[in-house]
Amino acid sequence: MKVLPSRSSEVATPGPARQPATAMIEIDHVSQVFQTSARKDHLALSDISLTIEDGAFVSILGPSGCGKSTLLYIVGGFVSPTSGSAKVKGKTITAPGPDRGPVFQEFALFPWKTVLGNVMYGPRQQGVRATEAEAQSRALIEMVGLKGYENFFPKELSGGMKQRVALARTLAYHPEVLLMDEPFGALDAHTRTRLQNDLLNIWERDRKTVLFVTHSVDEAVFLSDKVVMMSRSPGRIRQVIDIDLPRPRRRTELLLDPRYQKYVVDIERMFDDIDEAGVNP
Amino acid sequence: MTSRALSTDVLLGLLPIALLIALWQGLVSFELAPVALLPPPGLVFSRLLQQLVTFSFQQEIIATLFRLFTGFLIAVALGVGVGMVAAASPAINATVRPLVRVLAPLPKVALYPALLLLLGFGHESKIALVAADALFPILLSTYYGASTVEQKLIWSAMAAGTPRREILLKVVLPAAMPSILTGCRIGLVISCIVVFLAEMITSTDGLGHVLITAARTFQAVDMFVPLITISLLGLILNALLQAARSYLLRGFPEA
Repeated sequence: MKVLPSRSSEVATPGPARQPATAMIEIDHVSQVFQTSARKDHLALSDISLTIEDGAFVSILGPSGCGKSTLLYIVGGFVSPTSGSAKVKGKTITAPGPDRGPVFQEFALFPWKTVLGNVMYGPRQQGVRATEAEAQSRALIEMVGLKGYENFFPKELSGGMKQRVALARTLAYHPEVLLMDEPFGALDAHTRTRLQNDLLNIWERDRKTVLFVTHSVDEAVFLSDKVVMMSRSPGRIRQVIDIDLPRPRRRTELLLDPRYQKYVVDIERMFDDIDEAGVNP
Repeated sequence: MTSRALSTDVLLGLLPIALLIALWQGLVSFELAPVALLPPPGLVFSRLLQQLVTFSFQQEIIATLFRLFTGFLIAVALGVGVGMVAAASPAINATVRPLVRVLAPLPKVALYPALLLLLGFGHESKIALVAADALFPILLSTYYGASTVEQKLIWSAMAAGTPRREILLKVVLPAAMPSILTGCRIGLVISCIVVFLAEMITSTDGLGHVLITAARTFQAVDMFVPLITISLLGLILNALLQAARSYLLRGFPEA
């Protein structure tokens, strides 16, 4: 069993051996330079190329400061790359759009709107009639397990509940790609596990393309079809690892599965290598 | 906050006011100040109740309130408008910033003689002065609030399909509301002070004018009546604004 295929970042496009899945996101030689002061530039991302297929759950894993969130923001259209280009369904990304829905670690819910108001925001912006948007939103709120909290304000909810609302708000405008920026990073371990399970259950239903940024190895392995490992300063793709584990995945079963364990251990070893070879200790 | 804690707070708040009135009564009772110049509080309050039901005194109150509200609302419209636009556009910010820096520390009451000459002795000059004085705290707090809106709120709205030109109204304005309302609160207090001041300096009606007329004819009781009236008006207006604030900010953590 070949657990870690030795595919380097240079192999950007899927080789002929891959199944002919359509590309949802194509990142082509993207570099990002931030001006940290008048004289100094910081190279956050260096020559990133990556193709994400339609319906794939892909995690970007790396140490903090490796530019993994920046890569997500470029796909979101929130940040434009210094060089290179990113495409969604063959069209170059120039601005945010409802085909790519973000979920942030900080939730970023509208504090002046109720749970229902937050979830209805997207459909209303898309021109869905109020009654219809409300019905859809109520169904989504129920799906993320928050029935009965429709008229609560975000400040009245716990972190896990807020992130459920944020997920519902994004799902409400039917994005084809979910862009998740360390969405469970601010939650306690128990809540985090529950949300991971729920996210997988929701994802199993319609298999949207997901780009999931995290620094947690077991989270990445548990959720993903593919883990993109990044090294820091400058952020480069170090390795792309296919996670060949059966779905639907059950956490309790996976934890006992030696294949799962091997993925986690191998990736953690690679992390140690990055740390040892790292420019920033 | 529970209603019981609230009523304790109200009682605690009333205590110093009661002490102040007791001190006032003490000064009169122990003849530390001549009654002709400092009338006892009882006399002032009974005179106030007497005056409140007269048509002429009501007219004075209405004149003052009209100036106060108009000036304050102009300041809110201008301050929020300019503050928002300046936060949204670096070019407009660069244009407005020096002007604000020059005008903000200027004592606006120094403009009053010029305003009188330009706009006359009626409402307009007072309204202009109130607006000029209340404008800057509202403008500055709007600018601050609008330029510190969390970036990811804006991104979330844009991803949901909100066009860039609508972000200002749909996200930045509501997100900046706590800061804007703090500015409005300061602006309202300033408006109360300035409208009274303007009426004291030069006017033919209004509460400030009533006070100055009474003072010039040594009618001490009538001098204190408009003073108490404006204090009470300020108290009521602040309570109304506070109620509006609690409602508008009901979703915000800090409210």
